[in-house]
Amino acid sequence: MKLKVVVVVALLLLFASVGFATNFGTKKRMPRPEEFGNVVINNYSEKNNIAPVVFKHWVHRAKYTCRVCHVDVGFAMEPGGSDIKEADNLNGLYCGSCHNGKEAFGPTSREKVVSEVKNCDRCHSYGKDVKGLKNFNEHLKDYPPSRFGNRIDWMKAEEKGLIKLKDQVEGISIKRQAIAAPKDFDIKSTILGMPDIIFSHKIHAEINGCELCHPEVFSAKKGYTKYNMQDIFAGKYCGACHAKVAFPFYDCQLCHLKEVY
Amino acid sequence: MRWVAYGVTCVIAGFLLSCVSDSGETVTGSKFDKVWTVEQPLPPARYGNVLITRLTKKSTHPTVAFSHWLHRRYYTCRVCHFELGFAYKTNTSGISEEKNRRGEFCGACHNDRIAFSVLEEENCRKCHSGNLGHTDERFAELNLFPKTLYGDKINWVKALRRGLIQPKQSLLNEQFEQIPFDKNLRLEPEWQGVNTRAFFPHLKHTEWLDCADCHPDIFNIQKKGTKHFLMKHINEGKFCGVCHLTVAFPVRDCRRCHPDLD
Repeated sequence: MKLKVVVVVALLLLFASVGFATNFGTKKRMPRPEEFGNVVINNYSEKNNIAPVVFKHWVHRAKYTCRVCHVDVGFAMEPGGSDIKEADNLNGLYCGSCHNGKEAFGPTSREKVVSEVKNCDRCHSYGKDVKGLKNFNEHLKDYPPSRFGNRIDWMKAEEKGLIKLKDQVEGISIKRQAIAAPKDFDIKSTILGMPDIIFSHKIHAEINGCELCHPEVFSAKKGYTKYNMQDIFAGKYCGACHAKVAFPFYDCQLCHLKEVY
Repeated sequence: MRWVAYGVTCVIAGFLLSCVSDSGETVTGSKFDKVWTVEQPLPPARYGNVLITRLTKKSTHPTVAFSHWLHRRYYTCRVCHFELGFAYKTNTSGISEEKNRRGEFCGACHNDRIAFSVLEEENCRKCHSGNLGHTDERFAELNLFPKTLYGDKINWVKALRRGLIQPKQSLLNEQFEQIPFDKNLRLEPEWQGVNTRAFFPHLKHTEWLDCADCHPDIFNIQKKGTKHFLMKHINEGKFCGVCHLTVAFPVRDCRRCHPDLD
């Protein structure tokens, strides 16, 4: 009886100590440029004794628009949200839409195999030191610098023609007539002294299409969706992409750039 | 059986204590000595000096002594703690010799173009001094600056306003101008009948810092939205205490934030 009481008290103390150990009020670690936008997908990997997948946005966004994967292929916006299984990939869904040995290396294809690394390991790489075709630091040198995130100015890289983003993948995307570029507009700040936002609809539409944001993240009618910076920090609205993959909020003045009078 | 139970409790108690103490520090005497003794303030020339030991403690190189007051004359906080990605806690930035040589962290300025280079051997000792007081002599250069009573005893805000220092706001962008956000917050105390309300001037902070230095990690942007915002936690190095215990004027200087205190 005594023993039970002692153990229960000890366990309670343990839980209490864990419960109070929070990191509020301190600065979070800034991710390294090579880590920014990396996502670990572990729905089934560890259960099946395989290393989880480390998906690197920076490798993929140098070749494809966001729209291709997040609209046409149908990837969720949260890691693990798509619940991808091996069978899906082999059937040509999700990663398998491109990683089929034609568009990109497939699970069994032998071309482009890097120094004896099996193709499985190139994606199922969590906790392993897998050398990809491109080292991040080499990658970094080729592109115009930016201050945060991957420290790469992806938009400038595209403008200069250093990267050419594919917007269509054969067999998945449907070719439609292009819609005229939507108009840019300002988003008024509600706080005195905070510069208004100049929102470039055109830049966003080029890589996201319409469907990535409308109607779920933002209603299609201007001014209909009410949100504030707090929501964005919590990963909603603009925060659905910004700070996770697109440039982080640290760079306030990339959005809040209208002069205050 | 009873001994097993004692053993288990001892292990758990040990674990709990280890959670409480700062890892890696050796504490002499009772753990609670600190609570009852008033800590002696550092000499002004040592305030804000830190030893960076992450890698050097494993090697034969002397540790790096970094002096904040030496650097903040020329650069605002945001240059290092925002643009260059220095963390707010010593030894957590992940600085290494290789990164410095590649132009990250210290190497962003210490490259012979802005300050002495990390690449030349004769310069090593300038930082790898192993001595927290190696910049003491240069503190005399700050003699003419406006004074306060605590910390490094220099009123940096006044020094900046009077134009005695012109710290650079940005390394990466020559045309950088901070958002002129001049909102004063009046933070009412939780206790009734005590004049402990605090005033927070945004502008005095944005002259040195970037918005993102504090928001949203340390302070939520809603005035009442920051949970656990108590003096107790500030003294533990959270919220204001992230800077105002070690580098910015210390919390001992109560009246600078709580001017109504009597």
